[in-house]
Amino acid sequence: MNIRYWLHLYFVLIRSSIRSGMQYKMNFLLGMLLAAGIQIAEFLMIAIVLNKFGAVKGWSLYEVGYLFAVMTLSKALYRSFANDVHHLENYLTSGDLDQLLTRPVPVLLALMSQNFRMMPGELLQGGFILTWALHGMMQAGQITWIAVPFTFLVIFTGAVILFAIGLTTATAGFWLTRINELQTLTEDASQTAVRYPLVLYPVWLRSILLVVIPVGFVNYVPSLFILRGELGAWVLLGIVLVAAVCLFASMKLWTFGMSRYQSTGS
Amino acid sequence: MGIMTEAVVRTELERSADKDRPQPMIEARGLHKQFKTPVVKEGSFAGIRTLFTREYRVKEAVKDISFTINQGDFIGYIGPNGAGKSTTIKMLTGILHPSSGEVRIAGVDPHRHRRRVVSRLGVVFGQRSQLWWDLPVKDSYEILAHMYKVGDKERDLRLGQLSELLGLGEFWTTPVRKLSLGQRMRADIAASMLHDPDVLFMDEPTIGLDVTAKRSIRDFLKTLNTEFGKTILLTTHDMDDIEQLCERVMVINHGQLSYDGTIDELREKIGLPTTIRVTFAGAWSIPLPPGEILRLPLEVRLPTGEAFRVVETGPDYVRVEANRQQIRAVDILREMSAWGEAADIHTEEPAFEDVIHKVY
Repeated sequence: MNIRYWLHLYFVLIRSSIRSGMQYKMNFLLGMLLAAGIQIAEFLMIAIVLNKFGAVKGWSLYEVGYLFAVMTLSKALYRSFANDVHHLENYLTSGDLDQLLTRPVPVLLALMSQNFRMMPGELLQGGFILTWALHGMMQAGQITWIAVPFTFLVIFTGAVILFAIGLTTATAGFWLTRINELQTLTEDASQTAVRYPLVLYPVWLRSILLVVIPVGFVNYVPSLFILRGELGAWVLLGIVLVAAVCLFASMKLWTFGMSRYQSTGS
Repeated sequence: MGIMTEAVVRTELERSADKDRPQPMIEARGLHKQFKTPVVKEGSFAGIRTLFTREYRVKEAVKDISFTINQGDFIGYIGPNGAGKSTTIKMLTGILHPSSGEVRIAGVDPHRHRRRVVSRLGVVFGQRSQLWWDLPVKDSYEILAHMYKVGDKERDLRLGQLSELLGLGEFWTTPVRKLSLGQRMRADIAASMLHDPDVLFMDEPTIGLDVTAKRSIRDFLKTLNTEFGKTILLTTHDMDDIEQLCERVMVINHGQLSYDGTIDELREKIGLPTTIRVTFAGAWSIPLPPGEILRLPLEVRLPTGEAFRVVETGPDYVRVEANRQQIRAVDILREMSAWGEAADIHTEEPAFEDVIHKVY
């Protein structure tokens, strides 16, 4: 299929989704302000905790800030461009998925373009902490400028991994219908957990966050190399590979799940 | 998609374009659909036990349905609530995968080539809109034109036609959520026509509409079928829709096709009686064998052996019932004219609603 055409269509759909959202200006603005407020509050929480304890298990304040910022930015990227993948449950319970299926468009593309929202709060907060952390570490001579392009790559691959996890969780909805609790586990809780270095956790939990729900590859594993020079440059290639495998597997699973779709009563 | 399947699909498209003889447009062969739902337990900890149960209740929504619909047909697909109508439609449009059996739309399988098939389908669900709820009506058409790869020129031309036929102008810039039900349905039908599909699936397009709105929708569907040769499959609970539009009806009940044929044949098969009421100018009397009194209902047998029934009498009228497939109305009237001087005759065909009620 023609990638350029799908991309074009995706942006047409995103544009109309933004215009739909703008119909309710008050809601739009309030949503943006609240999101920014929550983000700032979360950041303050972490800043206070870290200021008090200085470093956690050998990870400096800057390094933890870096982990936090990369996760925030990856997540913002994923949720901006694939918002309703996270909300598939609504489509399953209301039967709205039927509508998407009557269009000559891949269901996933249609789903991704619904209810697009930019996340300026998250982007600002993440961008700010990232700049602060990178700057601090450069001043200390811990990293060089090469870390900047690496970080962009990692944010992107991280978004892909988070998307794959989100899509796999959503796919479970074809069997379970209700998936919001599962999402709390695979998306919210695990993403929050890896805002801190994985060394903090017992081995079993660490393994889960790397193998079962591979969120550890979003920020922790790449930062071992980018910030601390551990492992080796092959890590970056490895991350790209992990992202690609996750994406491929989740798409396969999604296609299979779609064939199990039962719709709702008339 | 491989080159092989492309080629197969193309020849099939070409074949369906051959207009000389009726081409099968929608084919269903041995369609089955089963839904599995976990058995809900009763008693204490019911919820948790349900969660871990491996028992399933299998509901057969559709059992072995087969039919062929030719290009240009206007088919009514009817059945009581929960009979399996929507499930069938969803399988035909590629939304649901059948548990077993096959569907072909113009020779193409909607489950293996969903996007290719739906680009030739127009689907209207009366119960919910396909349009962008918060945007002006015209914006929805623009988005749909992008989705279905309809060029600007073609789009404007077709919207012009549709607007004329359906009167879209009056709410062109109104957000969809502010439309009346009648307007919304017109807008929805226009949306399903924008890409000039060959087949239209109309799921209760007249539901909840007033008489005028219903009529304008019916007129439009009729035009689409007769003048543009669209194949239309209509489901509805409004028997007037069926009677006025469809040549052929398919009745589904308990997941199975219980009837497939013309409306007239259906009437015949059910054999509900026609009522004839004759008003007499003066006194009337029915010749009875000596010693008998008039007891209703009374069977009157003609010399030829055919019979009809007298069901009601008044001072100046007699009402009889007969099955038109067994006796001609003329013969009944000839017999009745011997009973007195007929002043007025009124015949009533069985209401289609009653016929359908009988089938269900």
